[in-house]
Amino acid sequence: MITRWLAALVGFIVVAGIGLVVGNFSEEQAGNSWALVAAIALAVGFVVYAGVEYAQTGGFASISSQFGMRTLALMPVAIAINIILGAAVANALKVPIYLDSIGTILVGALAGPIPGALTGFVANILWQYIIPPPFQGAVAAPFAIVAAVIGLLAGLFARYGALRPRPDRPMSQLFSGAVITVAVVGGVSWLAFLGYEQIIGPAGFEVASDETLFVILGWLALAMVAATVVGLIVLLFVRRDLTAAYVVVAGLVTGVVAALISAPISANLFGGVTGAGTDFLVAAFRQAGADIGAATLGQGLISDPVDKITTFFVVYLVLNAMATRTKARFPQGERLIEGGAEVAEEGDEWRGAST
Amino acid sequence: MAGSVDLIEGRSLPAAIGRPGPSAVHRLNPLTKATLATTTSVAAVVLGGLVGPLLLVAVAVVLPAIAAGVVGRLAKTALLLALPIALSAFLVNVFFFPGAETVLFRIGPITATAEGLGFAFEIMARIMAISGAVTLFYLTTRPADLVLDLERRGVSPRVAFVANASVQTVPAMVERAAQITAAQRARGLDTEGSPWRRVRGIVPIVGPVILGSIAEVEERTMALEARAFTRPGRRTLLWSPADSRAESLVRWGLLIGLVALIGLRIGGVLA
Amino acid sequence: MTLTLRGIGYRHAGAPRPALLDIDLDLADGTVVGLAGASEAGKTTLCLVASGLAPRTVGGRIRGTLHLDGENVDRWPMHRLAERIGIGFQNPATQLSQVAGTVFEEVAFGPMNLGIDRDEVIDRTWEALEAMGIEALAERDPERLSGGQQQLLAMAGLLAMRPEHLVLDEPTAQLDPAGTALVADAIGRLARSGTSILIAEQKTDLLAAVAGEMVVLAEGRIVLRGPTAEVLADPRLDEVGVALPSAVRLRRAALAAGLDPALVAETAA
Repeated sequence: MITRWLAALVGFIVVAGIGLVVGNFSEEQAGNSWALVAAIALAVGFVVYAGVEYAQTGGFASISSQFGMRTLALMPVAIAINIILGAAVANALKVPIYLDSIGTILVGALAGPIPGALTGFVANILWQYIIPPPFQGAVAAPFAIVAAVIGLLAGLFARYGALRPRPDRPMSQLFSGAVITVAVVGGVSWLAFLGYEQIIGPAGFEVASDETLFVILGWLALAMVAATVVGLIVLLFVRRDLTAAYVVVAGLVTGVVAALISAPISANLFGGVTGAGTDFLVAAFRQAGADIGAATLGQGLISDPVDKITTFFVVYLVLNAMATRTKARFPQGERLIEGGAEVAEEGDEWRGAST
Repeated sequence: MAGSVDLIEGRSLPAAIGRPGPSAVHRLNPLTKATLATTTSVAAVVLGGLVGPLLLVAVAVVLPAIAAGVVGRLAKTALLLALPIALSAFLVNVFFFPGAETVLFRIGPITATAEGLGFAFEIMARIMAISGAVTLFYLTTRPADLVLDLERRGVSPRVAFVANASVQTVPAMVERAAQITAAQRARGLDTEGSPWRRVRGIVPIVGPVILGSIAEVEERTMALEARAFTRPGRRTLLWSPADSRAESLVRWGLLIGLVALIGLRIGGVLA
Repeated sequence: MTLTLRGIGYRHAGAPRPALLDIDLDLADGTVVGLAGASEAGKTTLCLVASGLAPRTVGGRIRGTLHLDGENVDRWPMHRLAERIGIGFQNPATQLSQVAGTVFEEVAFGPMNLGIDRDEVIDRTWEALEAMGIEALAERDPERLSGGQQQLLAMAGLLAMRPEHLVLDEPTAQLDPAGTALVADAIGRLARSGTSILIAEQKTDLLAAVAGEMVVLAEGRIVLRGPTAEVLADPRLDEVGVALPSAVRLRRAALAAGLDPALVAETAA
């Protein structure tokens, strides 16, 4: 077991090293290139893990045990949800969010990080190459790795209890939850702003042209943050469910990571433009003088957290609407049930499945 | 083993299964066509510029499309697919290209530049190549055939299942959404009117669609287990698409060509 | 090859009380056993246990033994049991594999999974299609069939695996009258050709037509059993919430109205 993880780690480090040497790390591109290198190194690490396990055992048991029939039957449904909603939002609603990860995060929550990652990956590939028009996406496949990371993170968050309902908590808990979340949101936003300044700053943009627009953009970002905080507080205290705080944090982290990885892909392949509503934001950043990489990253850091927080909320609502019995049968289902796993009475003669 | 449908002693498969396509391009092995689509897409990005992608479109998309007799449909579908992006790319790059100097004209505070126009054309050419390649593949290949070919080559039946089932679930889910929309309308759901009302109208449709589909997963799981799907090992295939040594060589050639192209790009030989 | 249930009890995962208790049941070759009972009496659960899906696929805890021709199948994985016992469900649409473009490929799905010879897969598929009378539909799209046709398709898919026993959980529950007639006919033909079937139904008419013996469940236990005619004439059926077949209801109504039941039956026929 250790061997596999060690080998994967070595693979990750090697590829990251190569990426660092070969990649373009001029000041403008630095942030973007880091993210891309990290994503590729992750993928290679996974491949190495699988390869070593195959060499050792002739199979992929530790991976495929997370893929029971139930998970396999869930994945097509999740993939379809991703594609249909994603296509609808991209083609019909020109809003700066994507909504193409609901299925990915759902599978991550119910079945685990690896199934979640694979759902995202396969969904994006199929979306571009196999699904016929009108749902076919023209730019989805290159972002498959982003979708995989999203599924992975969702699975990990769920594994560690982020999506377990915590209703009827006392005011004190809710209050500290709100405070901590606001702190996290504020902290991450500030870090993002710093990083963004680092990246844009040295690249130098013509501050002369339309400073107003940049100020507007700044206010827009601030408004997003404020809306998130307000929404969180409302949900927290109206529903009295502490998990609202966890959902916001999970969505925020996932969104930031997704933005970091998708920005260089979008910038290098499509010049930051994908035909969706997000293009308006990119245009706005460009008008303010940012180059393609910075503009795409800026757009991502606004759209992705909002999109992912929304998606996590939707998934949380869906999970709550599912019967306990249905959830419990999934590999990670017990982590999504209030109070943890249900204790089944043991009797001498009552036995579970022996296979 | 690969081969088209044979007549065997006793019974044969119904004619509709494994029926070969109308043109030579259709009859190519699905993996060959998939390789062509993928290498064309990636090459368009790697090449960059204007000439490269356009050349790819001419050679790798239009020519096979003519041979397959699908040029008309290809043009229409690929253009529809590429239109939103092309439009956005055009507008964003022509008007919002910082650092450009050659001004073409102004509209209020917004400036159109020649460099922006040039870059816009490059992006559009790239998108044409990608959407053209992908559409050509879609028009000449049945998805199930590709999955079958992959399964014959050793891909796990579970992966094949997820791919095939996903393709079938998308239209099924859309139909379900249409049915639920009709039912909700009959109950007085308002789906016209202001955008806000429309968005609100989506929730009573999306909710039941998602929850209904998830609820069905349990039944589908049982039905699949009852048909021994989880049995370990290979399963028998009824047929598989034909393949030939020549096509295998072509596939490898395309891949090697792509790797070479990437190498040239990294090495700085290409602009 | 008899399927034997002895002392079977079953509890769903996380449920406080058992759904089934003290179930003794034999399903011998060539017999058709009807399973009746009010809803939530345990019919579906019994079908799941008899086919092995409970506890293997649906979890939960079981007690008692399941034997197939004398051999205890407790340790058998689901795919091994699937070859010997086929189970059909209520919803025709969710039984589709979603990977088949034609009815033929849908029916062939099971045999393909078993890894048997290709020629045999094809043979078995045609046989199953003919047994269900749907060979004319072989090239049709499964998603476009009517509910009744899809149920026939589902049963053909099971038969293609050549199971020794067939368990059917309310096959006509979600069908319109036309579909019900179609499926009831097919089940009748299967029964007459000697297939061993355990069929659960609310529509006791159907059970009266095809089942040789019947078992009635109430609150997870067997409360009545015996030859079909006897069970259906038993006055306790009302108490346990089982709807009487129309013929029996007609007879009783005639008697209550003071008419000669034989005459009424003849007129109604």
